Amino acid sequence: MNIFANKKHPLSAIASEVRLSVLEMINTAGAGHIGGSLSSVEIMVALYFSHIFNFDRDHFILSAGHLCPTLYAILAKLGKIKYSDLSTFSDIDSRLEGHVSVSVSGVEYSSGSLGQGLSFASGLSLGDKDHHTVCLTTDGEHDEGQIWEAIMFANKYHQGNLINIVDYNGQQIGGTTADIMPLGELAGKYLRFGWTVQTVNGHDLSALIKALKIAKASTIYPAAIIAKTTMGKGISFMENDYHYHDVKKLPAALYLQAKNELEITSY
Amino acid sequence: MRQSFSEALLELATADPNLYVVSVGLRPSVMLDRFSTRFKTRFIECGVAENNAAGISAGLAKSGKNVFLCTYSCFSPGINLATIKQSICLNNLPVKIIGYHAGLLTGELGASHQMLEDIALMRSLPKMEVFAPIDATEIYKMVKVLAKSSHPAYLRLVRPSTPVIYPGRLGFTIGKSQVLQSGKDITVLGYGPVLAQVFSIVTKKSLEIVNCSSLKPLDTTTILRSVKKTGRLLVIEDHQQNGGLGEAVASLILKTSLKCRFTHLAVSDSFGQSARDPYDLYRLHGLSPVNILDTINKLCSR
Repeated sequence: MNIFANKKHPLSAIASEVRLSVLEMINTAGAGHIGGSLSSVEIMVALYFSHIFNFDRDHFILSAGHLCPTLYAILAKLGKIKYSDLSTFSDIDSRLEGHVSVSVSGVEYSSGSLGQGLSFASGLSLGDKDHHTVCLTTDGEHDEGQIWEAIMFANKYHQGNLINIVDYNGQQIGGTTADIMPLGELAGKYLRFGWTVQTVNGHDLSALIKALKIAKASTIYPAAIIAKTTMGKGISFMENDYHYHDVKKLPAALYLQAKNELEITSY
Repeated sequence: MRQSFSEALLELATADPNLYVVSVGLRPSVMLDRFSTRFKTRFIECGVAENNAAGISAGLAKSGKNVFLCTYSCFSPGINLATIKQSICLNNLPVKIIGYHAGLLTGELGASHQMLEDIALMRSLPKMEVFAPIDATEIYKMVKVLAKSSHPAYLRLVRPSTPVIYPGRLGFTIGKSQVLQSGKDITVLGYGPVLAQVFSIVTKKSLEIVNCSSLKPLDTTTILRSVKKTGRLLVIEDHQQNGGLGEAVASLILKTSLKCRFTHLAVSDSFGQSARDPYDLYRLHGLSPVNILDTINKLCSR
């Protein structure tokens, strides 16, 4: 997981911009799930800016609704919402709920309660077979039994137009996913449940885009992409520290350090 | 009731190519065998997985399908309440949740299968509408109306065949209660077959029988008009007292200046149990015609 892997990728500048927006959004609000939001940046940038999918017709379901700061920042970049909206994140009169909400233009599914999105995505892809439905889940979310119900269902109905990306950052709110509830060999489990599986570096834009193309080409098998990521990616003191699953307002010095690091490592 | 529902659904599915059934491993018991063979591609079998089934239903509805989620009420909403709340209600998708085998009439299957909390759970969810037909005639009319509704809805069915008392000339309207029998001494309000029992009672008292099959939205106008006329109210339901229709109506009346003698016959914070004759359970929980008559006499004696 080389931080410089994206150095020359044309979309890396967007990823950097999104990271800064996420930090600013959460710090302005004084609360937000920064760890997972930062780990999922390249995944969502690859989804929205590679033109592999057209989300005016294809569908994106953010099952892990707490990663919404990243999605909101991307929707602002795409002009679906105003940049000025980002500073209203989770405020009383804002549409930008603390967990992702359909009241935000460009969002198709309100979530927050983990484990439900893959079922929803699966139903949507069954009802709209002419387009692709891409779901983003997390490794911690795979503790939920409902995820496995949906995995079996997608196999049964040969949902070649369904893709589930797992943001596998290895951390959750109270510790590492290995400590809280070991997932074992997740790729092997997907494979044995009848899915195609790819494991990629979830911060490598080229690898992610390649994996998305391969997943899209699958016609009868649902496709899983396990994206190995770093929680808190880009801010050194947050990386892989589960205490930064979510944050309140950062002390001024720490905020400046975080901002500096994101600006310096703009790649 | 189940049979009548299935007939209505078959007719609707013939006319509407967007109508889907989501099944949760109980196809024969919810009488959907014919649907599953006639509309194979529109019969989605999820296996015994209620949370996934609710999510699949919501996703299908998002894609524009007209979805009926069909399984026992003790499992849906009994197991999948959180998925109904988020994936269906919060996303405001018009899934029709059909809760079979509700109430004590589920008989020998016992406490785990006698869903006595469904109305309380579903009434509490924003966006959700809640209905409970009195018999096979009403369910037929109700399904035809609900299939065109753009709101999430819960529909409560019972297991055994029950007497048909709903007049064929009456229609069904969302948010409307029907005065099935006009009277002046006491209002008897309820829903489902437990209310139908009142027609078998022989009494000199003049009973006003109000069928509250639309539990949410509630027909406050018809209910208050009747209570104002009679000054006495008996609410009867095959459901927990906690969170049921009785509490909803008591709250409604307290908000007005109406004076009213009130009794609520319902299951009193206890579980059901097995019974070969399900009506034995009505006797055990004080919901039989004898209990109803006693209560009417007490209310009318003052």
